[in-house]
Amino acid sequence: MEMGFTFAVYVVSAVLFILSLGGLSGQESAKRAVWYGIAGMALAVSATLLGPGFGLWWLSLILIAAGGLIGYQLASKVEMTQMPELVAGMHALVGLAAVIVGFNTHFELVNIASMDDTAKKMLEGFSALLAKKSNVEINILRVETTLGIWIGAVTFTGSVIAYSKLAGKITSVATKLPGGHFLNITAAILSLLSVFWYLNTGELLPMIILTAMALFIGYHLIMGIGGADMPVVVSMLNSYSGWAAAAIGFSLGNDLLIVVGALVGSSGAILSYIMCKAMNRSFVSVILGGFGGTSGPQMEIKGEQVAIEAEGVASVLNDAESIIIIPGYGMAVAQAQQSVSELVRKLRAQGKSVRFAIHPVAGRLPGHMNVLLAEARVPYDIVMEMDEINDDFPDTDVAIVIGANDIVNPAAQDDPNSPIAGMPILECWKAKHVLVSKRGQGTGYSGIENPLFFKENTRMFYGHAKESLDKLLPMID
Amino acid sequence: MKIGALKEITSGEQRVALTPDSATHLQKLGHECLVEKDAGLAAGFSDAQYIAVGVEILTTAEALTEASDVIVKVRPPSTSEINRLSSSKTLISFFYPSANEALMELAKSKEVSVIAMDMVPRISRAQKMDALSSMANISGYRAVIEAGNNFGRFFTGQMTAAGKVPPAKVLVVGAGVAGLAAIGTSTSLGAITYAFDVRPEVAEQVESMGAEFVFLDFADEQADGASTGGYAAVSSPEFTAAQLAKFREIAPEMDIVITTALIPNREAPELWTSDMVASMKPGSVIVDLAAEKGGNCKLTVIDERIVTDNGVVIIGYTDFTSRMAAQASTMYASNIRHMIADLTPKKDGVIVHDMEDDVIRGATVVNAGEITFPPPPPKIQAIAAKPKEKAPDKTPEEIRADEIAAFKKQTKNQVKLLAFGAALILLVGSYAPPSFMQHFIVFVLSVFVGFQVIWNVSHSLHTPLMAVTNAISSIIILGALLQIGSTSFLVILLAAISVFFAGINIFGGFLVTRRMLTMFRKS
Repeated sequence: MEMGFTFAVYVVSAVLFILSLGGLSGQESAKRAVWYGIAGMALAVSATLLGPGFGLWWLSLILIAAGGLIGYQLASKVEMTQMPELVAGMHALVGLAAVIVGFNTHFELVNIASMDDTAKKMLEGFSALLAKKSNVEINILRVETTLGIWIGAVTFTGSVIAYSKLAGKITSVATKLPGGHFLNITAAILSLLSVFWYLNTGELLPMIILTAMALFIGYHLIMGIGGADMPVVVSMLNSYSGWAAAAIGFSLGNDLLIVVGALVGSSGAILSYIMCKAMNRSFVSVILGGFGGTSGPQMEIKGEQVAIEAEGVASVLNDAESIIIIPGYGMAVAQAQQSVSELVRKLRAQGKSVRFAIHPVAGRLPGHMNVLLAEARVPYDIVMEMDEINDDFPDTDVAIVIGANDIVNPAAQDDPNSPIAGMPILECWKAKHVLVSKRGQGTGYSGIENPLFFKENTRMFYGHAKESLDKLLPMID
Repeated sequence: MKIGALKEITSGEQRVALTPDSATHLQKLGHECLVEKDAGLAAGFSDAQYIAVGVEILTTAEALTEASDVIVKVRPPSTSEINRLSSSKTLISFFYPSANEALMELAKSKEVSVIAMDMVPRISRAQKMDALSSMANISGYRAVIEAGNNFGRFFTGQMTAAGKVPPAKVLVVGAGVAGLAAIGTSTSLGAITYAFDVRPEVAEQVESMGAEFVFLDFADEQADGASTGGYAAVSSPEFTAAQLAKFREIAPEMDIVITTALIPNREAPELWTSDMVASMKPGSVIVDLAAEKGGNCKLTVIDERIVTDNGVVIIGYTDFTSRMAAQASTMYASNIRHMIADLTPKKDGVIVHDMEDDVIRGATVVNAGEITFPPPPPKIQAIAAKPKEKAPDKTPEEIRADEIAAFKKQTKNQVKLLAFGAALILLVGSYAPPSFMQHFIVFVLSVFVGFQVIWNVSHSLHTPLMAVTNAISSIIILGALLQIGSTSFLVILLAAISVFFAGINIFGGFLVTRRMLTMFRKS
């Protein structure tokens, strides 16, 4: 097949990928959109396999098939609560692939440099492309390659750490080596120096130093970010994996890689922006770890937390007409989504209006709660976004908070000295009754006391979310 | 501990301090419950109902007092009731200590403890035992019901085949607990309800209940209630004059007037003067909830229903709670039950009279033979502090101006950003070779398309979005596939590894996305 034809296929693939992302604007169109993505990928891969100057296609097919088998296993076995880990793990693979492809480009460059003109003419495919490059172009190529490797390496270790934190293999507490961000800055400067070194000499050593530095930055940066900020971290890594692909696309001169990399990169960037906005924090403050500085003592909380038993919860729910449920990461941890779904089914069967209010940063991944509820067979048209539902709380009889804390903390509005001041929150206390299902009296991930729990219309339903709900279910008639 | 409820001896008093329901709660705290024979009869709780939940019935007040450690009742005790108490017993009831100093001295000499339900401090934590509020709530409700009983027309306006019926107009003076209950009842019956209170901060509460707050044309700020523990303070003469003028203006329109204005430890202020009554339509009704303290209307006769010369009915009952004895007993017994629950911190049936506790300290007037009244001010300040200063509402011109300013700012930012981006690209273009610029154009446009497309993605699909972007970012496999045909073994090996990894990602990413999306279903 001719190169022109391959390019034509790339154009089709690129359009399919754009449609695939655009289709995610609604639940129904999304079901079609994923097929566009699959078709785009299939076209792109086959066109490359059949394209000019391609050898070893049998090996490639076997490898893709073997990888595909593992991928299939992963995708069909993974629990929806483990989605954040899976996504982080997959970012790591993209990052690693980017690093490897970048190194390969370097090796090819070295190979070609050692050839004479007649040998160069014999070359095919990618090597032939490299061989035609002028000196300026080769320098640009080197910059692109180092950039791809650098971003890829940061993505790789960052994602590995994010994966380990999300999977609970290492502590999710923010930990930094002594020296803190100074170490990161040093590593970044060393990386930059290595780039210049590499541009001048074209040797392997600076490339290795650069990679090592990037690996360190990825590790150290993500180690310093706490569990509650994981949605931002995962979106950020998503973005990086895209930029890495785009950088590699530049170095390979492959427009499809550039297009897709840019799409993924901007997608991750937007997600990170949305998450940061939902926490009223700047991207930099999340990345640098820790909450923003407080300007004074936090407001003292008056009153007491009033506990309620399952019987009381049941009678409140049986009397209620309209109910809004606010799930948080605690629901996922307790695996309570099935019980929640059952509760909703029973309440809806009685003709009550039951809806869910989802805060953008609930869970460990953007949109995580929606997926969990969907898995538990909660219809998506009763699952609302914060902006859609926040004004409805005053007309609501009961708001049920399950395993959420900071996203319903009124201190964000009332207390200018609170670390989360200004964060948009679900104003659930405006409902007539608020029921909070919570393990104990502790504070949330951010360690901030929550005045909601002390409000007069709030009742605390202590206990493991799933067990509490299972006890409650038979009492709803 | 044994908790015993006495039968009320005041004539006409129908409430009881212990109900079968509250008894079961007390038993859960480890207490035993006793009740005097027929104590609950007037409120509709028979002895059989008590026995059914394991409450012991004793025939005489003497026997009950003897057998119980804690004696609960509703009205302040009589001298003989206190005389029966032996030392180390605790009495919980309404007490009105400032009016009943002799009783307090007597209790002191008997070395008993007395907890006055009317002295529970008004703080959030103590609301569940605030019996005054419970009773005021009932009075407010009942006041409207009594008014309706004496009012010859509908509350709600109706359009019938026979003609139009105008809605009744109700004025509630004093928006305390009783006032708010009256407002709620009146609005839910369909009357047009107006309310007035000297504390301007309650206007919002009044409006939230569907009534209209009557504002005065008065410049000076009235002291808000937070400084006086949520109760009204005495008004300035100018304010009173403005208030009476306003009432005089609206009196002829009102069909029903319910006055609930009380100032702690003072005679009720006169708010509804004789000339206002005279200006009202015949058949109108005035319910004076302050009758016990002399009445907000001077024509009120305590415990009587009178009709004035111009046909206005004035009701001066003081027994609204007894008129709803079942409800009042349930609520009062609940308040008592919460008080005892606070006195039993370990839920083991042992009473701990913790004088460090703000609520218990405030309510205790005699503690084991020592007068502890008046209490020090509570450590926690009462009620919500001042409402935040609200920015004055903007005029349409100001809003328009703000919008224009915001638009200008946005335009400015956008232009700046565009200029900066363009400059950056020009800079790159002047140094980079054309082969790079070709790709660069593709890149910039793709980022642009990406931003446009992703903003439209629904929030609920962000997780599938991440999974699918993950899958398509494995497009990097193309790079590895291009390199796998190399002549160098090392390159082939590395390329093979990345093809393998990308393969995992492609299949894993797409399949998991599909799996997630199939879960989303409509109801």
